Amino acid sequence: MSTQLTLQAPLALPPDQVPGYLERLWDQSLGSSPGAATFTLVVWEGSWLEQQLVRCGRLDGPITGFLNEKVLEAARAAAASCGLPLSTAPMDPKLAWAIGQLGGNHHAEDQRGQFVEGAISAHMPRRLITLAPTLDGSQPLETLVAAYCPLPEEGAGSSACGDVVVLRGSTGALHQNLDLVQPLIAPDLPCWVWWNSSLDEAPEVMAALATGARRLVVDSSLGDPRRCLNLLVERITAGQPINDLNWLRLRSWRESLAMVFDPPSRRDALNHVVQLDIDVEGSNPVKGLLLAAWLADRLGWQLISTYAVDGDGVGDGIGAEFERSDGETVRFRQMPVPVGVPKTHPGAILGLRLICQSSQGSPLCVILCSESGGCMRLESGGMASMELAEEVVPLPNESEEMEVARLLSGGHDSTNPLLAAAAPLAAKLLP
Amino acid sequence: MGAVLTNPLRVGLRQERVIPPQCLVIFGASGDLTHRKLVPALFELFRQRRLPSEFAVLGCARRPWSDEEFRRKMAEAMASEVAEHRVAWEQFAAGLFYEPVDLEDPPSVVRLGQRLEGIDRLRATRGNRTFYLSVSPNFYGSGCRSLAAAGLLSDPSRSRIVIEKPFGRDYGSAQELNRVVQTCAQENQIFRIDHYLGKETVQNILVMRFANTIFEPIWNRNYISSVQITAAETVGVEERAGYYESSGALRDMVQNHLTQMLALTTMEAPGRFDPESMRNEKAKVLQAARLANEDEPWKCCVRGQYGSGGSSTRPITGYRHEPGVNPESTTETYVAMKLFINNWRWQGVPFYLRTGKRLPKRLSEVVLTFREAPVHLFDAAGGAPTPNQLILRIQPNEGAEFKFEVKAPGSGMRSRPVDMAFSYDDSFGEPSDEGYVRLLADAMLGDPTLYTRSDEVEAAWRLYTPLLELIEDAPSRLPVYPYEARTWGPAASDNLLAADGLAWRRP
Ligand SMILES: NC(=O)c1ccc[n+]([C@@H]2O[C@H](COP(=O)([O-])OP(=O)(O)OC[C@H]3O[C@@H](n4cnc5c(N)ncnc54)[C@H](OP(=O)(O)O)[C@@H]3O)[C@@H](O)[C@H]2O)c1
Repeated sequence: MSTQLTLQAPLALPPDQVPGYLERLWDQSLGSSPGAATFTLVVWEGSWLEQQLVRCGRLDGPITGFLNEKVLEAARAAAASCGLPLSTAPMDPKLAWAIGQLGGNHHAEDQRGQFVEGAISAHMPRRLITLAPTLDGSQPLETLVAAYCPLPEEGAGSSACGDVVVLRGSTGALHQNLDLVQPLIAPDLPCWVWWNSSLDEAPEVMAALATGARRLVVDSSLGDPRRCLNLLVERITAGQPINDLNWLRLRSWRESLAMVFDPPSRRDALNHVVQLDIDVEGSNPVKGLLLAAWLADRLGWQLISTYAVDGDGVGDGIGAEFERSDGETVRFRQMPVPVGVPKTHPGAILGLRLICQSSQGSPLCVILCSESGGCMRLESGGMASMELAEEVVPLPNESEEMEVARLLSGGHDSTNPLLAAAAPLAAKLLP
Repeated sequence: MGAVLTNPLRVGLRQERVIPPQCLVIFGASGDLTHRKLVPALFELFRQRRLPSEFAVLGCARRPWSDEEFRRKMAEAMASEVAEHRVAWEQFAAGLFYEPVDLEDPPSVVRLGQRLEGIDRLRATRGNRTFYLSVSPNFYGSGCRSLAAAGLLSDPSRSRIVIEKPFGRDYGSAQELNRVVQTCAQENQIFRIDHYLGKETVQNILVMRFANTIFEPIWNRNYISSVQITAAETVGVEERAGYYESSGALRDMVQNHLTQMLALTTMEAPGRFDPESMRNEKAKVLQAARLANEDEPWKCCVRGQYGSGGSSTRPITGYRHEPGVNPESTTETYVAMKLFINNWRWQGVPFYLRTGKRLPKRLSEVVLTFREAPVHLFDAAGGAPTPNQLILRIQPNEGAEFKFEVKAPGSGMRSRPVDMAFSYDDSFGEPSDEGYVRLLADAMLGDPTLYTRSDEVEAAWRLYTPLLELIEDAPSRLPVYPYEARTWGPAASDNLLAADGLAWRRP
């Protein structure tokens, strides 16, 4: 989907004039518009990678906040020159940090928050508030305001207008001015808070924004694994609706695995799993653990123990033992694997192997491989005597905005129960 | 489909779109359909977590029930589901409300508007409404008028209206009803139900045809010699005699369900899978369909009525002796006919449609028979080689089957037919959505793909107009042949195909 420009060029206003201006905007210019009775979307748009790449001259501006091919290419190239392992994913916060150590002082126009992705505008947000922290730690707060009316897609119904508010400045300046944001969030409409950045940064800002029944969207692949998983668990325990893009990206893996067991003749094998192996890219274990935890929860396994396993120089793997409901043991291993061209987010899954051994018949070995790379490690090792079911898992090719738009389409007013069950278990799996 | 062990990894995996906040208003809330189909389907959607929390159901009918009474009646009607999912039911039932409304009494419809505003505040349903007319067809027109007069349909982005079957009883009345509802609402607000379109395997006809490349090149007059569409029921008229007596098989099954199967089987590929492109193609192909013999329609149609049958221990009552049926009734419970589609793809290919009650099996299927091999090189075990057939089974044992010739084992080169079968049950083992679950969800999502558009309905009625007129004006020309209950209809129906050197497939 195309990105849509705001209706007018955004207007820079002193922060204290923003609420009054917005009121007048609705009374006068947008008087005839019904005003979408939808939701408010608040985005913390770190974009550190893009900002750093621009600053050191490895990427031309403007800064948009969108993760496009150019940003990814520049990031992959930078990883090598920063001396980071090839397996470092472009979105790994370590990469943005390492680029931050490179010299350069280029500037580009900062357009974050001034464009609305078509997939998101299709849901007609009533208000889009973007918090755009800058690299310059002394930058004072600037505010920009605009109205926008999405162009209705051909054949779609009528659309309603909304407005866009951008708050730009250093993290400190944004934090100090958060009380400006609160009154801009309509109390009677749902509010989504999308933390489009590492979960390690600005915890005090997140705490202030993502309160109560606001629907939080995070990405648990970005940040320290333990902190990410703990954050999921805390919010789930507190009853706050939380959505994790890292979890959502597991969809094609879950779908492919479910497909293997669709034929009723295969169902019984699920009661006889003895071994689960997962290979992940690089050293971030979170996505793999969420997948393992989901499977364990679905199949009713109890976690017995968990421990670190020696990896081959890429970092430690994780081992665990589960107990099935019939008392038998399931062995779990998750290993980090070095790759040449990592996927965008840290810890992408490369392959999964499930071995099912019932008392009758020959054992069943299910192998799922990522479309982009083979999974030779999982294919080797004495499976000749087993019935083999191998599937290739397609790579979903969706932008973050599309994923978020899918959430905005409604119904995600509470945490997905599968994630609510998997996240605490994944946290326990981390040794 | 038989429910097998569910696949524990499937739970929560469906990628269904989520229904936006709204209030579903059901007229006829005290009727049969509401407690038998609609509320169970809604509860199913609720348990699948496909309803938003900002959701309410407002039941309406004339009798003065309270919210509590409505909840209780619904709970009683679906006692076993409620007992099984007690907590979920409590949550769901909190969103059930009732308002006494007489669709023919404008002030009560105005009161309904006020009640809806209250519900919007209570349940945050934001003024979005789906009105479901589950009342007698006599009220479709007046119901729409009262809703429009009360201003409840004025915002096309927030309100829509679902109309049950039957939509009209002939071309003229369907046109008139379309005219009335279109003065009350825009076409994109009007959702005309056809229950067959809610069935997964009917939708699968589209997926099989247009998601594969191997079928489309041969899906035409060059390769297909004839097509049979069957919808057979084992049941009799049951408790619906009052309605059925004035309708008959042609109106009750052929004009809608069989015609929809025909349209999906024969339509051109739409440019994209959106409601209007889909419905354009369906309407186009129906407009090109004709009775095989429009001037002498009695030559291409056979009517029948079931007589008694069964065994001495389990006798089956004939139609005329069913409760509520006129002992001299000439209503058909069976109808078979031959059609053509006059377009490039289908010119000259005969389509045979049949449906009936009290037939030996319950089943719906589409059978495409391919042309014979041009030269017979091998002796066929059965004399002549059996033509290839592709059978799309709609129900039961949903799936598809392909019949082709292989070498019969043994010395020599004799051929014999074999079956290659795909079964939904063996491959997925999952019971599919009940039609109403899918249809209700689509209506509330505002997706009309599986609903029939005004031009489709009218084209379908027009197609059968010569028959309906004949039945009206000169019924003796289209006699109702008796057939024994639990047989495959009257012999005249076999003759209809025999005249073309064909026979009905014995499923
Ligand atoms: N039942 C089925 O299996 C089935 C299958 C396919 C299609 N349909 C269609 O679905 C519709 C409903 O069928 P049904 O079997 O549920 O009918 P039903 O049992 O006869 O119910 C009719 C409902 O309409 C209400 N009603 C009657 N006059 C009304 C008025 N003036 N204003 C408001 N409500 C009024 C009645 O309640 P009060 O007396 O309290 O007003 C009752 O709740 C029909 O169009 C039928 O063709 C039904």
